[in-house]
Amino acid sequence: MSARKLAADKLLWEPLGRWKRSSPELGHIQFLKTVPFFDRLSNRQLKSVSAIMFERTYETDESIFEEGQPGAALFLILDGKVAVEIYREAGTTRLAVLETGAFFGEMALLDDTPRSANVRALERTRTLALYRNDLNALVDRDAKTACQIYRSLAGMIGDRLRSTNELVQMKIPADEIALG
Amino acid sequence: MNNGQDFEVKERERQIRRKIFYLTFAVLGLILGGFLVWKLSGLILPIIVGGLLAFLFRPVKERFRIRWLPHELQVLCSFAAIGVALFFAFNTLRKHIPDEEQKLEFRVRLQYKLNEKYRQLVAKSPEGKSNAVVPLIEKEVGPVMDKINRALELKPEERDLFLKYCAGYNGKPPVEKKFFDYFRANQNAGRYVIPEKPPTEAVPPSTAVAAASTSPTPAEEGTSLESKLSAWMLAPLIFFFLGFDNGQIRRFFISLVPNRYFELSLTVLDRLDEAIGNYLRGTLTDCFLVALTLTLGLILLGIPVGIAIAIGIVSGLSSAIPFLGTVIALGIGVGYALIAENIRPLIPGLNPNDLALYVVILIIITRVLEDVVFQPFVLGSAVNVHPLVVIIAIVSGSLIMGLWGMLFAIPAVVVVKTAVTTFFKELKDYRII
Repeated sequence: MSARKLAADKLLWEPLGRWKRSSPELGHIQFLKTVPFFDRLSNRQLKSVSAIMFERTYETDESIFEEGQPGAALFLILDGKVAVEIYREAGTTRLAVLETGAFFGEMALLDDTPRSANVRALERTRTLALYRNDLNALVDRDAKTACQIYRSLAGMIGDRLRSTNELVQMKIPADEIALG
Repeated sequence: MNNGQDFEVKERERQIRRKIFYLTFAVLGLILGGFLVWKLSGLILPIIVGGLLAFLFRPVKERFRIRWLPHELQVLCSFAAIGVALFFAFNTLRKHIPDEEQKLEFRVRLQYKLNEKYRQLVAKSPEGKSNAVVPLIEKEVGPVMDKINRALELKPEERDLFLKYCAGYNGKPPVEKKFFDYFRANQNAGRYVIPEKPPTEAVPPSTAVAAASTSPTPAEEGTSLESKLSAWMLAPLIFFFLGFDNGQIRRFFISLVPNRYFELSLTVLDRLDEAIGNYLRGTLTDCFLVALTLTLGLILLGIPVGIAIAIGIVSGLSSAIPFLGTVIALGIGVGYALIAENIRPLIPGLNPNDLALYVVILIIITRVLEDVVFQPFVLGSAVNVHPLVVIIAIVSGSLIMGLWGMLFAIPAVVVVKTAVTTFFKELKDYRII
């Protein structure tokens, strides 16, 4: 290998490669590949989704959103842990604890109906937020990508509806169903 | 003290430090911002214009997005397309921009025709009787006509140049004889009001010195013009760089917002963007429709196409200033109608001598169309501003920034109104207040 090529590798291509590998965008794309919500998207599509996402960091016990607030964004947990809770007079009911790779607040991608629960960081948590209107704008710009995200969302809502129906059927005794 | 308590105390101290830091930073930022606005006030307008152009350009950029082309290249292509369109537009318009000879001829014609119309207005009947209102017109309009005459009359060097053009100069054919007659008539035109005191003795030496010291020297004027031009160079630069922005500016500002206000800021920014964008694009469409209506109307009235387009564009743009836009359109339209010659209306049965009246009717029809059809269609009820607020805003805008202030007064009111209402609504929705 010539000295000139060696120098070019050392001075240009290696730092460039290191910078590319360590760039936050690439990290986000690698992360998005692991999320079921985006697993059907190609690298190019993930790049355009990553470009419209906001990274936010929440400290321990910091509220991410509260019940009753208008929903505006879907959150993906890059790393950390959050609790989904409902506060009532009788006390706090913890509905779930979500960890790295999980997502929450997905209904906000459809409309601004109020959040149905509170979400609070249990430890220092990094999230990626996808804002509804940015996804709407993506429909005009890259309809295929947006369509695939909406399809994932519809599939996930369908799954939840099915499991809710099963839960309701399990809780209602068979004779009551027969009586109508 | 155990580790947990120690951590809490440190955390509390950290929060206090953070608050002090943010407060100090905000105060310093405000002072610096105020100082910069005060010192660089000349740059504000070019920055606003550049920003507005970029804002209006954004949908064009979004519309012509090609997936496989890098963003920067797409923007460059959009700029190139706009550049080509502007080049052709200017090239077409340049043919209708009057040259030195036409400008002189226009001033001579305007002065002659205005004097002719004024004399017709105050003329006495063949029996020597005059209308009861004539003395009143002479008293009120006479001084105005004197001022207009002084503004329009050619300076000695311009007179020499006009006489050269009359004989044929610079490779151009001689000016029509009737314009030379107008020129001579203008030279002989008397003053309508006799001055009460000779002006030479009226000015005390101290006032003369003061006037001399306040009036800028040609060198000062040159410097001021240069600085204005260099300030205006900012507008295309800002337009250019904002055109390349792919949401980075928004992301930067959102990154500064505390977590608690994250979704709120996104929503407020988005609503503001939508409301202001709709208003500005709606106003631009409205201006275009007004310009088109007036241009077509003026062409039908027999006014030459180039002049009709010029009057249409200026009147259309000025229609962005509520109330005053109509006055400007009337001023320009009727002004031209008064000096127009050899007009052949395309609509049969119209008397060319009543052109000014037809122009007034055309402007009224355009105004009614704008109010009844264009504005409800393109603007809808996007932003309703009370007429009193509109008047106050226009007057305030004119006092602060002159003509530009009048033009930007209503968009500024719309921005503030939308920002305040959206912000408070969202603050309540997010249960922050």
